[in-house]
Amino acid sequence: MTEAQSETTEQEPLFAAAGGGLAILLKVEVPADAICWHRFFGAMQLALLCLLFLSGGLMAFAYTPVPGTAYDSVDYFQFSLPLGNVVRGLHHYAWNLLLIVMGLHLLRALILGAYKAPRQIVWISGVAFFLVIPLFIITGDLLPWDQKGYWSTQVRFSIIASIPVVGDFLVQLFRGGSLTGIVALTRLYVLHILLLPCALVLLIGLHLYFLATRGISGPLSDDEIPRPKALFMPTIVNRWLALFILTAIGMGLVAWHWPAALGDPADPTDSAFIPRPEWWVLFLNQLVAIFKGPFMVLGSAIIPGGLVFLLGALPFLDRSPERRPSKRMGVMVAAAVVLAAVTVLSVMGYVEHFVRPEH
Amino acid sequence: MSKWLIAGIAALLGAAMVFAAAPSPDDTGVMVITARHVKTPPAGIDDLAWQGLASVQIPVAGRLEMADVKGTVSTKALFSDDELYFLLSWEDPTCSTIKESWQFEGGKWVHLKGDEDRIALLFEIDRINQFSSKSCTVVCHSPADLPRSQWKLATRSPSEKGDLWHWKAARSAPYRHADDGWLTVAGTPSGSYRETGRRYDAGGGGDIKNETPDGARPLYMQDPARKPSAPGFLLLEEAVPIKDYSIFEAGDVISYRLPVKPVGSRFDVKADSQYADGRWTVMLHRKLNTGQEDDVVFDVRRRFSFAIAVFDDSGADHSKATRSLVLIFKR
Repeated sequence: MTEAQSETTEQEPLFAAAGGGLAILLKVEVPADAICWHRFFGAMQLALLCLLFLSGGLMAFAYTPVPGTAYDSVDYFQFSLPLGNVVRGLHHYAWNLLLIVMGLHLLRALILGAYKAPRQIVWISGVAFFLVIPLFIITGDLLPWDQKGYWSTQVRFSIIASIPVVGDFLVQLFRGGSLTGIVALTRLYVLHILLLPCALVLLIGLHLYFLATRGISGPLSDDEIPRPKALFMPTIVNRWLALFILTAIGMGLVAWHWPAALGDPADPTDSAFIPRPEWWVLFLNQLVAIFKGPFMVLGSAIIPGGLVFLLGALPFLDRSPERRPSKRMGVMVAAAVVLAAVTVLSVMGYVEHFVRPEH
Repeated sequence: MSKWLIAGIAALLGAAMVFAAAPSPDDTGVMVITARHVKTPPAGIDDLAWQGLASVQIPVAGRLEMADVKGTVSTKALFSDDELYFLLSWEDPTCSTIKESWQFEGGKWVHLKGDEDRIALLFEIDRINQFSSKSCTVVCHSPADLPRSQWKLATRSPSEKGDLWHWKAARSAPYRHADDGWLTVAGTPSGSYRETGRRYDAGGGGDIKNETPDGARPLYMQDPARKPSAPGFLLLEEAVPIKDYSIFEAGDVISYRLPVKPVGSRFDVKADSQYADGRWTVMLHRKLNTGQEDDVVFDVRRRFSFAIAVFDDSGADHSKATRSLVLIFKR
């Protein structure tokens, strides 16, 4: 047997398996409203995550995780490489939009009772995104090595350090020393581009698997009208591709017109710099500001952690099969109270840090 | 209902994008000077293009023994498709352009007391470590552990490069430019200028001292056959050697520093200036990209840290300097 023949023989089962998988996918039918004009947050989340992976991968080619040089490499990528500003802008806008879309996706599922049996595990895996995605942002913030990222990271380290028992250990684990320098940058970089993406891919896979096995939530109507079906391939896949392309073009144009900001290079000796919190942590920041001193842990860990825990446990706290919001007033009121609290705290934080920044 | 829902979601997503796109104010109170785009560049100090533009009052303050000396530089910036324009105005009770001019007095030549007013802008060509947070203290007062007499205007490593625009009321204003130089590490300690990290851009210019080899009297005078192109100043190209010193009368004044016609990259920064009502107003402008290695390239998508120093009748020490400033461009 020649080498070429041997290679072909070895490859045949692979091709056969791939072809078989494709044949199965071509026959799979899913509810036609899996991705449609009024239900696209989950699909958009996936599109945004793909854009984040793509843009992040491209930026990694030029990035150097060394203090000082890191800033220059980001500056070089954004301003000297063709379309660098668009790619970095896409990355910037994609995570901002991702947080919004995630919030809306969760809110929709909560209002429509999509967490109810048999989709509890779909809900829990979805809530888990709220633990992973912020870690991406936190680890990514330091990477440009600019003033904002550096000092925001310092603030976060001090908040983490306030967690009893494990706080100092966690900070030491991230920072690798008493100062935020090359070790911290390397560790956060590895987390950002290797460990967290692996965790996220696993989470996406699990979420989609649970979605496929437990099904997507149906309409609230009591009618037993069979739901229209559509082929997963090509119909649903094409819809997703269209959404992906539209999102990419839209954000690419935004990034082209309003490039992502790159602040001044980090100066670890400039303790006068007081970073302003990102919009998505304004409420957390305000919580930390309310609970000072020994009670700081309430605002930094117990309340936010408790909320995430309650969110994850929701399918087990609200076990009735009833999905109509009007019949689930307890959950609706509780959700409205939490949402109002987050909004009020965010507005307070905005006023404090942006409208009249006395510091 | 669903229409309202979609409209609400679209509005929320749009607002989110706008919010993410909006440049937030600087966190440290770093002053931001925004250069606005104009189709027709300003022709001069009094051009209408400047009038609708709000100025930024940049505080300047002295250091060390001049710590109580304070003031403001009113700053405006514009940019066209290929040039950047600054309009800088600051209070100065005296218009100083004497620069130790010669005066014939009591049968001999003496130097008049007085120096010149100046303003200097420093940008980064290649990043100067901590310049964006500590401003020109990282290049003006270095090394900090040495006595002041040994301080050099220099960067700390060869990879750090600054772009220095230096407008001088007596030596560059007559040629309507700001001397364009660049900043690097301190040079060899031979000669007062070379000891610093200041370097001239490619080309020619500057000034020469108008004195005889023994330093007792001026060497040049205005060419009587030529009309002075900058009245009150003696330009080297319009000067002729003095052959007969007996023609001078008591009180006659001749410039001590003769501006040399600037050429090349040293002549990149053009200037218009005016002294009126106790204020200097200077318009500086330069191509966004001169194509020279010794000049900062103004990519309008970026932000640029810079600093300003104002000198009042001073030949050496600062009078007043700014903290960190940032220049951004907006169309």
